Amino acid sequence: MNSETAWLVVIVGAPLAAAPLLLMLRQRGTRAAGWIAGLAAALSLGGALALLPALERGDVPALRIWWVPAANIHMWLRLDWLALPFLVTEAAVTLLAVVYAWGYHRPDSRTPAFYALLLLFAVGMAGTTLAGSMFLFYIFWELMLVASCALIAIWGEGERRGAVALKYFIFTHLGSLMVLVGLLVLYGAAGDDSLASLQGGVALAPGLVTAVTALFLAGFCVKMAIFPLHLWLPDAHAVAPMPVTIMLAAAMLSMGTYGVLRFPLSIFSPAQMAPFAVPMMTAGVVSEIYGALMALAEQDVKRIVAYSSVSQMGYILFGLGTLTHDGIAGATLHVVFHAIVKALLFMGVGLVMRATGRRRIAELGGLGSAMPVVAVCTGVGALAIAGAPPFCIFDSEWMIFSGGFHTPHVGLSVLAVFGSLLTVAYALWFVGRIFMGTRAEGTTADPLPWAMVAPTVLLAALALVSGIFPAPAFYWVDQALELILGGNW
Amino acid sequence: MTGNVWVVLPLACLAAGAFGVYLVARFATRHNGLLAALTAVAFGAALAALAVLHPMVTPSDRPTWGPAAPGAAFLRADPGALTIAGVALGLGLLVAVYSGRYLALDRRYETYYPLLLLLVTGSVGMLLAADLFNLYMFCELMSAAAYVLVAFRRHTSTAIEAGFKYLVMGGAGAVIILMGISLVYRETGSTALPQTIRAPGPWARAGVACLLVGLGLKSAIVPLHTWLPDAHGRAPGSISAMLSGVVVQSTFYTLLKVCLGLGFPARSLGGLLIVLSMSNMVLGNGLALVQTNTKRLLAYSTIAQMGTVMFSIGVGLHYGTLSAIQAGFFLILTQATTKGLAFLCKGACHFYRDATTIDELRGTATHMPLIGVAFSVALAGLAGVPPLAGFASKWFVLRSALRSPGALGIAGLIVFLLSSLLALGYYLPLIGTLFARQVPEDDRPNETTAVSPWMALPITLLGGLVLAIGLYPGPWLDWTADAGACLLDAVP
Repeated sequence: MNSETAWLVVIVGAPLAAAPLLLMLRQRGTRAAGWIAGLAAALSLGGALALLPALERGDVPALRIWWVPAANIHMWLRLDWLALPFLVTEAAVTLLAVVYAWGYHRPDSRTPAFYALLLLFAVGMAGTTLAGSMFLFYIFWELMLVASCALIAIWGEGERRGAVALKYFIFTHLGSLMVLVGLLVLYGAAGDDSLASLQGGVALAPGLVTAVTALFLAGFCVKMAIFPLHLWLPDAHAVAPMPVTIMLAAAMLSMGTYGVLRFPLSIFSPAQMAPFAVPMMTAGVVSEIYGALMALAEQDVKRIVAYSSVSQMGYILFGLGTLTHDGIAGATLHVVFHAIVKALLFMGVGLVMRATGRRRIAELGGLGSAMPVVAVCTGVGALAIAGAPPFCIFDSEWMIFSGGFHTPHVGLSVLAVFGSLLTVAYALWFVGRIFMGTRAEGTTADPLPWAMVAPTVLLAALALVSGIFPAPAFYWVDQALELILGGNW
Repeated sequence: MTGNVWVVLPLACLAAGAFGVYLVARFATRHNGLLAALTAVAFGAALAALAVLHPMVTPSDRPTWGPAAPGAAFLRADPGALTIAGVALGLGLLVAVYSGRYLALDRRYETYYPLLLLLVTGSVGMLLAADLFNLYMFCELMSAAAYVLVAFRRHTSTAIEAGFKYLVMGGAGAVIILMGISLVYRETGSTALPQTIRAPGPWARAGVACLLVGLGLKSAIVPLHTWLPDAHGRAPGSISAMLSGVVVQSTFYTLLKVCLGLGFPARSLGGLLIVLSMSNMVLGNGLALVQTNTKRLLAYSTIAQMGTVMFSIGVGLHYGTLSAIQAGFFLILTQATTKGLAFLCKGACHFYRDATTIDELRGTATHMPLIGVAFSVALAGLAGVPPLAGFASKWFVLRSALRSPGALGIAGLIVFLLSSLLALGYYLPLIGTLFARQVPEDDRPNETTAVSPWMALPITLLGGLVLAIGLYPGPWLDWTADAGACLLDAVP
């Protein structure tokens, strides 16, 4: 085992080993749980970054073990440029969410289990991006669901958490089953379950190609919460504890994007994908506008930000649907930048909720003078999500819309651009309503723990810096595209 | 009597064990642990004999035992029978150990342990039987033991009712089977199995149909399933584990062996099974959703599971896909471990906390962490959540079904997928209940309970197995692969 495979094992292994450790510590680990989880998450992120030089050299770090020889199944971890942006986003979001949880979560006897499940959730996401074989991909894909569902069912807010968790599980599992059938058809056609052999293309009947692509798109759109498959999202996001919401919104939703990039887009040729361009772009625009309208109509601050995810995922699907270099690059970039901004917004909302103990927007107002740091950070988040330069989302939206105008479907692209006006509307209304105007009666602003404020400030700074200097992220994404497009587009 | 003595040895160990345990319990000691250990030894000896027999069975050689005349053998070992017999004996061993503590609820040891052994004797004998007459005898031995064990809690009217219902329905099934055998005998003058019926007349056809219906009733094929929820829901937990884990499955394998052995065309049998499997899956899962009693819920899920086994094997027979039949056997293995585990955990909840309805399971994970976790593993495994055994079997079933394209197969596949989604609707809330806090009005004990090692050991082992099969399905898949191949060989 060389250093590359060792780091690869660390990315998944550190949180995977820390989770049972935390569970075994039980009550004894209450105080140390947060630190152990933080360390594991940091190791995971460190492992991902440590492999960058290897990717630069053109290596593909991989670990491959026979698993079920009779059925040609491998246990195969590999990191390539396509997985990298998703992996780094996921690992960074996990680390920040764990740090945020140090302040958010009041320690009790079940704290170690809470952190253990957060880490398992992270393992699921890291494994999904690293899996080099379909069997392993699906196992991690479902682990992500199981862990997050348990977190919602046990630590969710409100009496309805059990029902919400069940709805979340069944809805998302429906998507998973569609993905599973798609995977099994490809597995049957390719003869083994490695993703690498799929990359070279599979021989499938044209009708089957259409069916498999449709299954994959529908299945991954459930995870991305595209209208009308988004029904699980507002409830799950609103009920989950804030660190989990951050991981759901900033990291897990993007796994759907990864799936679309990894499966239909990488495997099938542009000609085979062409019939899906208009449906994808249309669904994207509808989702963008619907999510923004719902965000405008919502009263609960957490649900407003949750609906904004539906809207943002619409941009991403639109970008993917353009099937152009700019559109796909923009969509992938949007995943990274949306993660920064969405985590920032949820953290800001979480701080407001923590300080005031309220979550209905009608009961909030004029908090800007009481909590200026939070106000500035959330304001940055709102401006960024509205696509205002020089914040990061401006860059990715630019690319997505540019992709749209490279297609013959100019009407849809114009609609997408003007739909973003609604984003501006809800984002500015939301921030203005909370932080400006007259102070709502009886609001207090309790002091906030540093562990919750520090990641918020860091993300706000990152939203600005990555907006002004998008080149590094752009470089990563572009490498990934070469892998997908391979110059045939 | 000639032939390979290892074929008859597992049965001899079990029967001798039943007799011996009865004598010891009646005249020597009434120490539960000792009797459980004796029973476990009998199961262990039978398992060892089976392990010796296993390598002797090759595609060219099927060891037999019985009179020397050709075609007159009583018993014949084939890989399919051996696989299921191995599962039955293994689960029986664990159930015997489990009963070492569980039976403190109802101390009639001299009835329970011999009947448990006879139940498995009947089931293994039925799997190995090489002619219809012996098959019938073993089938009835198994059923008779099962009737009594279902009604074992004779102080409760529900158990008596369930046992009686099972007896009436099972008896009707037995009569139909007997009628089928006599019709076949009338036509060919032989009860050998397999036998070629040249130019089958209406009597032979009616005979095979009778056998299909009778054995189908005992394997809980919808609409002949009505006895199962009562029987499996009212029997002691350890017995439910045996009934749901192996008895139904071994009857189903016998059905396949008999029908194929008497020349029922594999393609039509497969098609019939696919059609019937859909009603099993829909009805089993649909009715499980509305249950309030935990064991009845698990019993309805057994009906649904039988549906998945029927679907997989049906696809294999209908389209001649070997991998689908192999997946069906793999499914039998994973269901025996997972469902067995679920019933044993449920039994522990009943034993320590007197919990029968789903609501009464609240607080299980807090007060008995081992049971809470193991029960959740079992339920998640049944729901097919990776990386547990249920997921691996779902993967293989789906894969092989997708390889056999055809309208019937696709229709079954869609029902299979939708019903696995439906199943989440009852498994997940059950897991949630296990981890929920006990309500204050609940007067059952509200402190941590230590689980006896007699019960903890089999539960831990089965839980580990559910995880191990899921994480590393390779060797288990290889083990069940021969079984699948032998069934396809039996196709006329």
